[in-house]
Amino acid sequence: MKKNFKVVNNLTPSVDGKGLMQGRGVYTDDLAPQGALIVKILRSPHAFARIKSIDVSEAEKYPGVACILTKDNVPHVSFTRAGQGYPEPSPYDKFILDEYVRYVGDEVAAVAAVDEETALAAMKLIKVDYEVLEPVLDFEKAFENKSVIHPEDGIHDMFPIGFEPKKNVAAAYEMEVGNVEEELKKSEVVVEDTFYSQAQAHAMIEPHTCNARLDEHNRLVVYSTTQTPYHMRRIICKTLGLPVDRVRVIKPRVGGGFGGKQAFHGEMFVSLVTLRTNRPAKCVYTREEVFGCSYTRHPMRISLRVGANKDGVINAIDCRTLSDTGAYGEHALTVFMIVGSKVLPLYNKVKAVKFGGKVVYTNHVSAGAYRGYGAIQGNYAVESIIDELAEALHMDPIKLREINSMKEQETSPIFKIMGEGTEGTEMIMESCKLPYCIKRGRELMDWDKKYPVKKVGDHKIRSVGCAIAMQGSGIPFLDMGSCTIKLNDGGSYMVTVGATDIGQGSDTVISQIVAEALQTTMDKVIIYSSDTDLTPYDCGAYASSTTYVSGNAAYNAACKMRERLIKEAAVELKAKPDDVEFDGKVFKAGDKEISLVDLSTGRLYNNDTHQIAVTESYHGHVSPPPFMAAFGEFEFDTETYEYKMIKYVTVTDCGTTINPALAKGQVEGGIIQGYGMASSEAVIYNEKGKLLSNTFDTYHIPTVKEVGELVTEFADSYEPTGPFGAKSVGEIGIDTPPAVLCNAVYNAFGVRIHHLPITPEKIFEAMKEKK
Amino acid sequence: MLVKFNLNGLDVEINVKPGEYLLDTLRNYGVKSVKKGCDGSSCGACTVLVDDKPVLSCSLLTAKVEGHKVMTVESIQDEAAALSECFSREGADQCGFCNAAFALMVHALKKENPHPTDEEIKDYMVGNLCRCTGYQSQQKAIKAFLGGKK
Amino acid sequence: MKAKSFLRASSLEEAYKLVKESPRNKIVAGGLWLKKGNADVDTLIDLSLLGLEKIEDKKDYVEVGAMVSQRELEKSPLVPEVIREATKAIMGPAFREIATVGGSVYGKYGFSDIITVLLAHHVELVFYPEAVITLDEYVKKPGFYDGILTNIRIFKDKNKAYFKKVEITALDYPILNVAVVKGKEYKVVVGSRPLVAALCENSTKYLNEGGKDFAKAAELAVEELKFGDSIATKSAYRKQLALTYVRRALEEVSK
Repeated sequence: MKKNFKVVNNLTPSVDGKGLMQGRGVYTDDLAPQGALIVKILRSPHAFARIKSIDVSEAEKYPGVACILTKDNVPHVSFTRAGQGYPEPSPYDKFILDEYVRYVGDEVAAVAAVDEETALAAMKLIKVDYEVLEPVLDFEKAFENKSVIHPEDGIHDMFPIGFEPKKNVAAAYEMEVGNVEEELKKSEVVVEDTFYSQAQAHAMIEPHTCNARLDEHNRLVVYSTTQTPYHMRRIICKTLGLPVDRVRVIKPRVGGGFGGKQAFHGEMFVSLVTLRTNRPAKCVYTREEVFGCSYTRHPMRISLRVGANKDGVINAIDCRTLSDTGAYGEHALTVFMIVGSKVLPLYNKVKAVKFGGKVVYTNHVSAGAYRGYGAIQGNYAVESIIDELAEALHMDPIKLREINSMKEQETSPIFKIMGEGTEGTEMIMESCKLPYCIKRGRELMDWDKKYPVKKVGDHKIRSVGCAIAMQGSGIPFLDMGSCTIKLNDGGSYMVTVGATDIGQGSDTVISQIVAEALQTTMDKVIIYSSDTDLTPYDCGAYASSTTYVSGNAAYNAACKMRERLIKEAAVELKAKPDDVEFDGKVFKAGDKEISLVDLSTGRLYNNDTHQIAVTESYHGHVSPPPFMAAFGEFEFDTETYEYKMIKYVTVTDCGTTINPALAKGQVEGGIIQGYGMASSEAVIYNEKGKLLSNTFDTYHIPTVKEVGELVTEFADSYEPTGPFGAKSVGEIGIDTPPAVLCNAVYNAFGVRIHHLPITPEKIFEAMKEKK
Repeated sequence: MLVKFNLNGLDVEINVKPGEYLLDTLRNYGVKSVKKGCDGSSCGACTVLVDDKPVLSCSLLTAKVEGHKVMTVESIQDEAAALSECFSREGADQCGFCNAAFALMVHALKKENPHPTDEEIKDYMVGNLCRCTGYQSQQKAIKAFLGGKK
Repeated sequence: MKAKSFLRASSLEEAYKLVKESPRNKIVAGGLWLKKGNADVDTLIDLSLLGLEKIEDKKDYVEVGAMVSQRELEKSPLVPEVIREATKAIMGPAFREIATVGGSVYGKYGFSDIITVLLAHHVELVFYPEAVITLDEYVKKPGFYDGILTNIRIFKDKNKAYFKKVEITALDYPILNVAVVKGKEYKVVVGSRPLVAALCENSTKYLNEGGKDFAKAAELAVEELKFGDSIATKSAYRKQLALTYVRRALEEVSK
């Protein structure tokens, strides 16, 4: 376990913090070409309808209109917008534009015009004749409903995922280890309960944005706020019938993604408009479109049965899940499976575990990837029912977790059975400081003094709740990252990576890894990401993969560069490579030496000139989970049930924190996003299926005033397979708040809220029922 | 219509539509540090200073700034750089999309109330949404930047 | 927003003439609600040059110009503390810098915090052409007044006051607000139900006749007012909030 780091695990400023604070115009729309056509999308007013005919003749004549796309003039090739690796575990159930529209806001046509006003005016002239169909708006009634949301031909899965569109099933999955029914029967205590989570919105502040242009080679260049530029290139090419070499995708600076920018939003339209008109085109989603026409977290119903002995040993867990993927099946199976695969292994002492259910289509906004990716939904249900079990056992809920949860060098059979849409990978926990996290968090919260509830004033009580969580670090055998390092004269390194910084700070983290491995300083590392022409392949920013997968690639590349440099220096020093020592600045062999500055400059201008550059990749075989213990304290009004967060303590094991400040940022940002889902982010549809909570005035993300004291610590941990001992930290922060709040509400009032978000109004209603 | 105002120290004359809002005018004019987050006066990413006071440029008619002084982060580059150091130290650096607006808010806060309490900082910053950080790190950074008291 | 022209009115007379000319000519206060409503108008009439952005002490009352921003209102020492506090709770400062007091009052928005807190005071509205009516009358009267709101007079009264805004997050419209003032007499106001604020006449009468049971006064308030559902919350919970906060308000101002 290497520990005396110079750059990694040290307080290192972000490579881009200053420039961004100073307002550099580096985001996608800042880089849109002057005079780009403005693309606006005509959207369905109906939750479910068939377009009988669409007449654009008037609209096309409107002065300033360059191009109108409809189902009648775009390629009819099914694809998935999910933005995953190939072959995707999501069904190919989407067409660029289709005969059917499947939610209020679904795409009917795209209008490209000289400016927005013109595009909107022309859009009003498009005449669409709809056959309105009966929508499915309740996901519990979707299965085998007489309304079939995907009746069309030409849709399919890429490998078996349980896709049965005629039954409104996008995916299905079942697994069992041991015999759950038998173990439940044998258990002395069995608890069961059902929980519902909502379609949380990503609500990143930068809207989905893209633009397209043709370059001097007449290649299509697409700028996009994407988390997955390489997947985007592949999918654009495949769907529009272009060779891969004719398209370049550039991901500039991205203003937050959280999974929401893994998918496609407008890229097909700007590409087609540019290809057809030979003009640049751009599309910027309005805030209403970001909420109502991109995608959301999968809402779910999770039913659990947990059996234990009186001594607190959990014997069996049965988890039945129903997930609502909305109109299209992006990430339907994989998010669903994570409910089980990244939550249930926490309790690895069980003799039997069962997980399964269906992912159904409805006529709601489509669901897709969102930070936490099933784990937050699962965590809400599992970590709530663990508290119910503790109560049934008359046991301290922390003790119950300590007895049953994962420890270092242990494993879970689930790892092998369940992966992301496929079979999983066996893993022993080389690093798992969960017991420490629990113990330390309990101290930091002063749990023993606060649990379960204390009166603190007239109408004021304070209660606490806890939860534990795990996630993964990339997708083993699927995710690949790579890194090219080029030596500049003067001894600095140009690092290019396909890894996509979407605000999480991966450019900084990767630079640190390179600087540490090459024993140099951050000012000698220049990083550029991500551009399919210029940077090597990376699967993209998802599945908590960047620090671990792309970081390992950067580490490999840096080690390779070091090896190369020593060989080059050996030639100069007329020594054997093994005899050359390199401290990051100077190569020494015996009494001879040459500086990196001289070597690098010489290689470009003087002797034996050639470019020194290396490219390395990384492909994971395991996905070491980070772990977390979380403890929340809340103050409640006993008459109105309004509450506020007083304190939220987390202790995280993410291995080495490559950048401790950014790691803290990931955890705390995750917590507050999760807290929004837990507390205030209600998703409201009207009876016709129109999303009403589609602005920041109607969908309430936490503001600075909702945040209590955040106490964020990290366990001393080292993951041997990670770069300098690191695991992921991007997602795990989001997982715990729903269960922590739910448990704290129970500890305060003795009512359990089964539907997220847990609003004061729901506590009020539950209390009325209780009385 | 032609609107004259002072933009970051220079007098400009810009041709705008009568119903145009300042955010669009500035971005069309090439000032890309001002961001469109919601275009509905709810997120704060479009904040600029008019006569040294913070306003949401998405909701201020450009015609209304005739004769006034408009400042974006381009006017306070050194201050923004110094604030960014505090952000980095506290782990408040993330996507950066709203950071220029934050810098302008902090600049205005410093003028109005050089030694704010924690609660006063929160009250001042409440209109600037951030989906990345969890806010606490930003609060600490702002406090450190202002060298303020608790 | 679409507009054909923008005019800085040089007199109230000119502005009023334009408004009367066509319903498509609109007064711009701050411009926030025209934006949110995505208005399509002929002439935008700006009142910035007419001296309506002053707050003045007029002996019996404080006169607040209609173009005073919410920010100026909350900062003015001439304005009663509770009104300043209520104003401060509206969105963020960069919003309040644009929003005008006149715009908030004239629009009679259901979610208005300013109307709720002003209704608990004796407040008169001054219109051009010359007319003065109480805020209570203005709010009760359906539709908008035919004229340009120029000033708001807040009459002075030695009082104890309470304002509460209940919200989902701090950057939110209220799901209920309550203002109670105890000066020469009590005034109980509940707003954002989601209907615009109203004076609770039965409750106020009970208190002013010497009623001391604050829980009863709160019940009277809830009985006499209409509560409705909105996407933010339902009426049953709004009633619970009103019962609680009217009672607490009365306890507070009676201390």
